[in-house]
Amino acid sequence: MSAKQPASLGAAAVRPIHEPVRLNWGRLTSISFLLVALGVIGVVFGLASGHAQRVWSSWLVNWLYFTGIAEGGVVCSAAFYLTQARWAGTTQYRLAEAWWRFLPLAFVLFLGVFIGRNQLFPWIAHPNPKQAMWLNVPFFFARDYLALAIVTLVASWFISASSSREAEEWHSRPETIEMPPKAVRRLAPTIGILFAVVWTLFAFDLISSLSPRWHSTLFGWWYFAGVFWSNIVAMAFTAVLLRHRLPEGNVLDRGKVRHDLGKMIFAFSIFWMYLSFAQYIVIWYGDIPSETFFIIARCWHHPWMFLSWMAPFLMWVVPFFTFLGVKPKKTPIILGTVALLGLVGVWDLNYVLVVPSLSPNKLPLGWIELCVTAGFLGAFLLCATPGLKLLANVAAADATGGER
Amino acid sequence: MSGEIELIGTFTSEEECAAAIEGLHKAHVHDFNVFSPFMSEKINEAVDEVRQWGRSPVRKFVLAGGFTGAFTGLILTVGTSWEWNIIAGGRPIAAIAPYIVIIFELMILFGVLSAVSSFFITSRLPAFESAPGYRTRFGADKFGLVARVAESDVSKVEAMLRDAGAEEVARAAA
Repeated sequence: MSAKQPASLGAAAVRPIHEPVRLNWGRLTSISFLLVALGVIGVVFGLASGHAQRVWSSWLVNWLYFTGIAEGGVVCSAAFYLTQARWAGTTQYRLAEAWWRFLPLAFVLFLGVFIGRNQLFPWIAHPNPKQAMWLNVPFFFARDYLALAIVTLVASWFISASSSREAEEWHSRPETIEMPPKAVRRLAPTIGILFAVVWTLFAFDLISSLSPRWHSTLFGWWYFAGVFWSNIVAMAFTAVLLRHRLPEGNVLDRGKVRHDLGKMIFAFSIFWMYLSFAQYIVIWYGDIPSETFFIIARCWHHPWMFLSWMAPFLMWVVPFFTFLGVKPKKTPIILGTVALLGLVGVWDLNYVLVVPSLSPNKLPLGWIELCVTAGFLGAFLLCATPGLKLLANVAAADATGGER
Repeated sequence: MSGEIELIGTFTSEEECAAAIEGLHKAHVHDFNVFSPFMSEKINEAVDEVRQWGRSPVRKFVLAGGFTGAFTGLILTVGTSWEWNIIAGGRPIAAIAPYIVIIFELMILFGVLSAVSSFFITSRLPAFESAPGYRTRFGADKFGLVARVAESDVSKVEAMLRDAGAEEVARAAA
């Protein structure tokens, strides 16, 4: 090991921190509260002005989007433990776990979907006897709430195990081939399996059921692959934003770490596109109207065509062609821009999956959608702030060495 | 070449070998071969720093092979469809969506074959004769550095190799 490198990245990352990083978190909190206030105003005025469907459809889009990022982060941390990832010491674990606190709030915010159910789910007003056993209000909300409760509880259990003394000791010995602590070892695969099952359920219940006649077996898998990717771009964007604000030489400011984040964006973007094509080709071959109408309405009809093509453009075309080389992945401005565009792409994807089912001929994108999105973003940032503080301290703890 | 001596340094670790390569660079000795029992990033980096070879030319062959494969896939699928003119399920005769699979697979196949063949060509493999200075232990548990140096510099370079950690330095006529 060269003299410049620390004895261990992990050891540095969990070393007792005498002087926490002093960042102006107050400004972030103020902005977040402002955004939440804007969201509340948007919901109130939207409902008062008779735009209940726009309010609740926008609510659902943002609930799926932000809950997806939060849950994707927990799954990403679990995946790091399963692969015993050491490429950024402890930092990548804390980065992925930064927004998990939004999950308990998502449990509360899901109440909005219940309140707006009559405006969202067409099978309530027009039940189909063949689907009534699965698509009925009591069973629908009971299973989704139960799934959400399980996911939230297991996630909080996992985060607690990941922050335990044993886990910190494991992080402090990056050279060891020992497995992570037993609790983490047991919970990490559970998190992964739960994620696949629950987000498949959410995809079918909260998106597919908005067009109850539509069928696609691969839809759940394809959707949760996108959810997982949304967290990766959120991680990369956060890393780029935080690097300047932390002491020089912090872990997030290392080209190698940015390179690794870029590789993750690149790889999982290809995986998402692979699943997109796998789903599309089966529908194309079958050419059954009950399967094709969902895609035709979005990809070939006005006013949805542009937004529908924008999602794969931002989620695959841009990351794929930008990140073919090493240098763009390591360049902060390029990594941050691609990650931000990816975040916009995932939001757009959720929007074109949900809204055209409710408003096939009109594009409802105005102040209501903007306010509701701002409100969710504010709530998300408020929940993420403690995690970001921890991340900042861990990333700054080793500001003197490490591979660049 | 007359007036040149071959120095064969044997190292037990890749770090020592890499340090010796950097020492050769500082001594302005650039005519050398390195033997390693496995692919070593450290040795590669040291050699690259000295020789400034840059990126491997193999990637250009892979790109060309990939494009050739994709084009072949396109010609194969669209050409045969146009040749037979069979309309299936009311779709266009040359429907691109399913052909993407064939185009993609041929792109990968041609790209991989180009990669393997260009690797052999650019590495001048197979080599039927051992490179000068090669010892069988360099393919087992030791690292070898064979440098060709002017007679006047032999002592200086030999001392440098020993300082870098060579457990043995042998001389041979170049």
